[in-house]
Amino acid sequence: MALPDLILDPLATPGVLAAKALIRHGSASDPEGLRGAHQLLGSVLSRGCGPYGPIQLADLVEGCGAGLRCDTHEDGLLISLKCRDVDAERLLPVIGWMLRQPHLRPDQVELEKELSLQALLRQKEDAFHLAYDGWRSLAYGSGSYAHDPLGVAEELKEISPDQLRCLAAQLEDHGSVLALSGTIPTKLLKLMESHEAFQEGGAQAITLAASTPRGTSLGTEQGTLSIREQTTEQVVLMLGQPSLAHGHPDDPGLRLLQAHLGQGMSSLLFRRLREDHGVAYDVGVHHPARAGAAPFVMHAATSTDRSKLSLQLLLESWNEMCSKPLDPDDLQLAKVKVRGQLAHASQTTGQRAERRAQLRGLGLPDDHDQRCLEIMDALDPVSIQRIAAEHLSRPLLSLCGPQASLRVLESQWEARQGEARQR
Amino acid sequence: MPDAGLTCLDFWCRAGSAFEHKGEEGLAHFLEHMVFKGSRQLGAGDFDRRIEALGGSSNAATGFDDVHFHVLVPPEGACEALELLLDLVLEPALRADAYGMERDVVLEEIAQYRDQPDEQVVQHLLASSCANHPYGRPILGWEESLLASSPDTMAAFHQRRYRGTNCCLMVAGAIPKGLEQTISASRLASLATQSEDHPNGIDQTLSFQRGRDTIQVERLEAARLLMAWPAAAADQQHQVMGIDLATTLLAEGRRSRLVERLREELQIVESIDMDLTTLEQGSLVMLEACCPAEHIKEVEAEVDRVLQECASTPVQAAEMERGRQLVGNGLRFSLEAPGSVAGIAGPQALWREPQDPLRPLQDLQNWTAAGLQSDVFGQLQASKAFTLVALPEEEG
Repeated sequence: MALPDLILDPLATPGVLAAKALIRHGSASDPEGLRGAHQLLGSVLSRGCGPYGPIQLADLVEGCGAGLRCDTHEDGLLISLKCRDVDAERLLPVIGWMLRQPHLRPDQVELEKELSLQALLRQKEDAFHLAYDGWRSLAYGSGSYAHDPLGVAEELKEISPDQLRCLAAQLEDHGSVLALSGTIPTKLLKLMESHEAFQEGGAQAITLAASTPRGTSLGTEQGTLSIREQTTEQVVLMLGQPSLAHGHPDDPGLRLLQAHLGQGMSSLLFRRLREDHGVAYDVGVHHPARAGAAPFVMHAATSTDRSKLSLQLLLESWNEMCSKPLDPDDLQLAKVKVRGQLAHASQTTGQRAERRAQLRGLGLPDDHDQRCLEIMDALDPVSIQRIAAEHLSRPLLSLCGPQASLRVLESQWEARQGEARQR
Repeated sequence: MPDAGLTCLDFWCRAGSAFEHKGEEGLAHFLEHMVFKGSRQLGAGDFDRRIEALGGSSNAATGFDDVHFHVLVPPEGACEALELLLDLVLEPALRADAYGMERDVVLEEIAQYRDQPDEQVVQHLLASSCANHPYGRPILGWEESLLASSPDTMAAFHQRRYRGTNCCLMVAGAIPKGLEQTISASRLASLATQSEDHPNGIDQTLSFQRGRDTIQVERLEAARLLMAWPAAAADQQHQVMGIDLATTLLAEGRRSRLVERLREELQIVESIDMDLTTLEQGSLVMLEACCPAEHIKEVEAEVDRVLQECASTPVQAAEMERGRQLVGNGLRFSLEAPGSVAGIAGPQALWREPQDPLRPLQDLQNWTAAGLQSDVFGQLQASKAFTLVALPEEEG
């Protein structure tokens, strides 16, 4: 095991350095019966590694006024370090230790497990989360994107430190990426090359019976509607479909649709639901960058008495994108928005390092964004419609709200499904 | 910020919810929405389309003290964006048809907040501890007053507050050639200055009530312990930095006093945080612990014990240094993006005078352990707080 795949992005800053290490094992790699294992592993990595116990590590990082965290996404673990350049030589090796010599002490694993279980419980307070959870189950069935990265309480409770050791030993099976943005001290690279934290033989190759990762199947057998009753004032509606991987040749088309439908106050959903009908405050489209079939989901929250109209407006918007070419002016605006968004999303060293690590992590070229812009420039309204019709023809609906409204919306959805079948 | 790729134009106005008169509750925030519905020159949606066609974005936020409207654009579009922004903010059309529709949107926003149990708990704490002060009122306002409002009452509020002496334009990021001249020639220069409404900015100080309450909240899954304290107003920068340092020592990072004791050692909370909200009429310090309901009494007792310990024993030198590093870097790290620079420097320029965004670090260095113990930790005691315990609703 050598240095992680290194990306350098030197930038003039007032002495700030952001480091992002991406490991290509996220919650989608959680083995059968161990949903939540990678999140738990990620959270324990900073609770003792290499020469540092949990307290010494906290003292080192916090004593430098730095930030260190590990987030678990579907496709990977992301370790983020932000510090002053003068502290980089002391702090950067910590990332190496976290990857290659995590302690995974049982008491620390138990503590993080308990915190994760409580966080899972607290998520239920959020109607948006419940609606998304329902949509995710519907869309991905028993597939690897079907659960929240935090896991499933019943399985999380049973995960042992030994099982985490097994996963830790496999963490860099598919390699890892380390991106540095900001003021990069000149000696830093030499230090990393020779530092024991980045040498091989760190994590012991434990050969516990590794569980099999779950498949990546989509949930086609679960129906098309998910309902969660809650005693809320509003109904949260999520209409969407598992779509494309970030590197798919048609994904630039979906990103243009995302910008047209949900980005900014000129977007279609904003205009239609907020400005034309005043039925919702929060509207948008969720289409994250994923290695596999990424969600493409329209969402809105609306009062019960307007929920029928809101669903109708979402459905109209969905149907239009599949059945009608975009107005050329709208398409041009969407292209400008995507281009502008790239500049907006690379303002800080942390944003820049993360995007670079993400692209490399997904196996995409460093100039992927530039290539996508060129592809987008060549797309016309008809090709966008073709992409929508091809990849977004079977939306799934998730609802969370009071029982009485859900019944009405359920009937509305069934009627729509009937019409779709007749077509 | 010569290396920045974008320019942030941030228009600030002393027109937060604290300046609403009786019957106007919610109008400051509703006006922020209505501004985007067009001006005398711009039709509904024109502003958004034109800003986004420049590759930019726009947004706005209303607080207790002020409101700001910000645009983030590539530098070459900054002059055009400035003219659009000023037109929109200073001459909103407030058309009657758009008024009713946008009020519905605000009512949806209120409903969305009411559906979030943690927001309800925080609002209950503010309403209880700042009961006789505008900070105790939700910024979104009351449904009744919104329904009773009209374009005319909103226009009157706008005319009263959006005056030269109450406004400030903050520009951060890449500054393109010609922008300064555009600003000098803009309608900002001719903005009416006189205002009979709070001519010196603010006319009252925070009235804070200590106390204690326990509530049950529907759909709350975990218990919350919330505590609030009154603190120095934003213009007392030395005091504010001391409080920032104290809350960092108490609740930022695993080695902070409260996190280490309650989450790491006793393992009775899922999270414990402290925040300082810097406000012009008196700031607020808030503590929030989230825990299983069965631990709530122990959590409250232990928080009390840790706070008392801080007031009775000075912080050691290494711990002080750790706190200074965390607060200092927190500020340094937040100065990377033009939008966050404008967000930090804007209120300073609006309410006082522009200063180097890193100037507060000097105040930070001036704090000693003894000063912190007597002047800050002595105030952050349970006996001086409003404490709210929020529990999940009992079944049946």
